[in-house]
Amino acid sequence: MEDDMREMTHGELAAMCTNLQKACSKQLRSEEAQLFGLLAAFYEEGREKQEGCGYQDLLDTINEDLASGYQRANAVASKNQDRGSLRALVWGEKVSKLLKSLLVRYEKQKNSLLDGTNVYVCEICGFVYVGEQPPAICPICKVPSFKIQAVQKEAI
Amino acid sequence: MHAARNIALCTKDCVCLFVCPTGATDTENGQIDFSKCLSGCRLCVDACPSHAIYLVSSNYPKPQKKETEVKDSLFDLAASKVKQESMAKALASESDDPVFRQLCKSVAMSNHIMAEDCYREAGYILPQSDAVRSLLKDLLAKEEGKADFPADAVRKLLEKL
Repeated sequence: MEDDMREMTHGELAAMCTNLQKACSKQLRSEEAQLFGLLAAFYEEGREKQEGCGYQDLLDTINEDLASGYQRANAVASKNQDRGSLRALVWGEKVSKLLKSLLVRYEKQKNSLLDGTNVYVCEICGFVYVGEQPPAICPICKVPSFKIQAVQKEAI
Repeated sequence: MHAARNIALCTKDCVCLFVCPTGATDTENGQIDFSKCLSGCRLCVDACPSHAIYLVSSNYPKPQKKETEVKDSLFDLAASKVKQESMAKALASESDDPVFRQLCKSVAMSNHIMAEDCYREAGYILPQSDAVRSLLKDLLAKEEGKADFPADAVRKLLEKL
């Protein structure tokens, strides 16, 4: 018996659907993956905009997760001995701390932080790496580097 | 349960072609022909010298029960990650500096992946689960008829999963 689903925003449903799309791909169900992709694209199109938000608003939201979100979730997951959730929380908290320090460093160094070097994102845990070459394995989730993708600088 | 080939590991020893009773391993696209593969046969899996063939389950055990409070705290975190993703996307779209956009794009991608991972652990790890079925039914009931909503895709998913 499923409990009642809580209301989800379009942005949340977009992430839910790409999660299920990836899960289908892992099971080599390419047709189902493609269908979840269509659904994800629909919700991505309707994503709630955060127009006019500032850099500091973004940092504040990360800080909120670090100050309370992870604490709350960790306490509940520990109480219920939910190993899967604890695993996700460990990765997420580490990635969030690194994102915070990256954004703080960018505030000080501006573009010199990223000029003449590359930015990579780990497809599995979200780890962001600034440097020439990505590490051979992700320091957070330990996936091999072929899952760590370069993010291009795009000219307008 | 059918066999599948990890093409990145395959060293073209072709022993699978030799042992397969149905010819399912002999295809043009490098993947095994799932429709010809005999469920649970696994001759190719055991014979492959490069461990490039594995079995994919058709039936998974029921997912472990997720306590409501665990699910809620993961949904809360996912909501925050999605908000950060949207903020980073907005910051990127409002800037014409390619370096700043690259930073924001990376932050957006990172948050999207973290949100996905929260949902995965909140009980949405298997697309064949009751949780996913009831989500799809809810979405269909709610959005049916809305412009551009891919209702046929949702119906097909409910049929296939």
